[in-house]
Amino acid sequence: MMKSSRAFAALKLIGLLTFVGFIALPLIQMTGISFVATLAHPDAEVGTMTLRNYRAIWTDPNLRAAFINSIAYVLINICITVPVAIPAAYAFSRMSFVGDKHLFLAFIAFRITPPVVLTLPNFQLFSTLGIVNSVFGIALAHCLFNLPISIWILQGFISAIPKEMDETAFLDGYSRPRFIWKILLPQIAPGIAVTAFFCFMFSWVEVVFARILTTTNGKPISMALSALFGFQTDIGLVMAVTAASMIPGAVLLFAMRGHLSRGFKIGKV
Amino acid sequence: MKDRTHSGWLFVVPAALVLGFVGLIPLITVVNYSFFEIFILDSRFWIGTEWYADIIGSERFWASFGRSTLFSSVILTVQIPLGIAIALCIPRNKLWVGISLAVVALPLLVPWNMIPSLWLSLLNPENGILGRLLPVVGWPSDWKGSIPHTWAVLVVMDVWHWTSLVVILCYSALTTIPSSHYQAAAIDGAGPWQVFRFIQLPQLYHVLLMAILLRFMDSFMIYTEAFPINAGGPGGATMFLAVDLGEEIKAFNYGPSAARSVIYFLIILIVAWSFTKAQSKLDEKQPE
Repeated sequence: MMKSSRAFAALKLIGLLTFVGFIALPLIQMTGISFVATLAHPDAEVGTMTLRNYRAIWTDPNLRAAFINSIAYVLINICITVPVAIPAAYAFSRMSFVGDKHLFLAFIAFRITPPVVLTLPNFQLFSTLGIVNSVFGIALAHCLFNLPISIWILQGFISAIPKEMDETAFLDGYSRPRFIWKILLPQIAPGIAVTAFFCFMFSWVEVVFARILTTTNGKPISMALSALFGFQTDIGLVMAVTAASMIPGAVLLFAMRGHLSRGFKIGKV
Repeated sequence: MKDRTHSGWLFVVPAALVLGFVGLIPLITVVNYSFFEIFILDSRFWIGTEWYADIIGSERFWASFGRSTLFSSVILTVQIPLGIAIALCIPRNKLWVGISLAVVALPLLVPWNMIPSLWLSLLNPENGILGRLLPVVGWPSDWKGSIPHTWAVLVVMDVWHWTSLVVILCYSALTTIPSSHYQAAAIDGAGPWQVFRFIQLPQLYHVLLMAILLRFMDSFMIYTEAFPINAGGPGGATMFLAVDLGEEIKAFNYGPSAARSVIYFLIILIVAWSFTKAQSKLDEKQPE
């Protein structure tokens, strides 16, 4: 018995390591190229090891702006999504009302609607309102998929809290909104962190809305990357920008590891 | 039990307003356009359901539909079992959990338009890690001319990109299983398979349903990542539904692209509806 369980554990470890190796392969390639000069520059010949690609991110005003734009729109998106999602998640978790099932269905349908389906009218709508070429436009457009996901995740966290807590609070004279603000929010704080992380993850890397909503200004990292492709593409620089674009997410991921590993249950309505 | 109260609407109004603005209004606009012939947006005339008839009647649409269905089926058969397996392999030690999850999730952080670039440079015969290794096992240097090879690249790329999401979702659900369940299983002398079948898998049903929904729909409508690999080739063998739509939009065919969008949205509605049905079935079976 002991022996077979040890063999099983070894098998699990091998499986995990193989998968990690597979995940790492393109990333190793990316990191490798990012340190090589792939176009002739006055200070570096083609094929030499250099840090100039990473330096270029800092010195090129377009690239610097792209990082600032990406961070800005993701933060705005989280600031819209989370406060709007919390009451909705609470309602779906605790109350039943006319049309709740249909509304939830509509929310799911919008989550799985690919942005390409709505690109044209979205662009028109946003340009009529004058929010194209700005980080605010992208932030708002990304609510299409981030809001339903957020409601979903938060609802899982709220449903995990015993309902007696609500009832005791109501007996103590709390109204629902005050209960959510004073008692529920501190309880679901890890859930809010996980939600914000998922919003970040889906929004940071999205390109379809980002492309149509930023033609001249407000370009995020993904679009700055597209702009780097041309007749002579400096692939080293492209890889360096890609690698650098993953750093904020990786830091967040590491900071979130406790919450992710403590476990949360989503998908239960 | 949920409270039966219509004040629930007050809590969902903000979310409904935001989604109405970014989702419903554009959708209604698209439905409206789909019935018109539009040269420029100010001059258009009504043509009824002609675009719909064109699309539904075209072989090209059904070919793309078939390809997307096949692609999604392959993706689900690989990613869902693989995601569960990897989630089960993640160690219980606290430090290693964090590190494993962080490493596994890295592909989710790559900008989508760079995913094909990463894989193309990995397959580059001159300096790519795989590009130099694969010819040894018979990988052709002109793989872009071969349908199975192009498909293989797309599938492996998507598995690389998205399996992590399944792993994270499954892992998070697995950790909610109380350790008393495992102790009881150990006392009964249950083997790893029985533990999986009767303790772990039932805990995963809900989260798996969600993972299947997300992975099915996102691979069914794969767009950004699919085109740059081989420009839909060879011979249109990797033209998927969303790629077709993207091409229409790039050509400024407002009417046909709108009609196409509406058809796609109907597919989406059917999928979302089946999902909610499956979910309530699951709730009946597993009342908690």
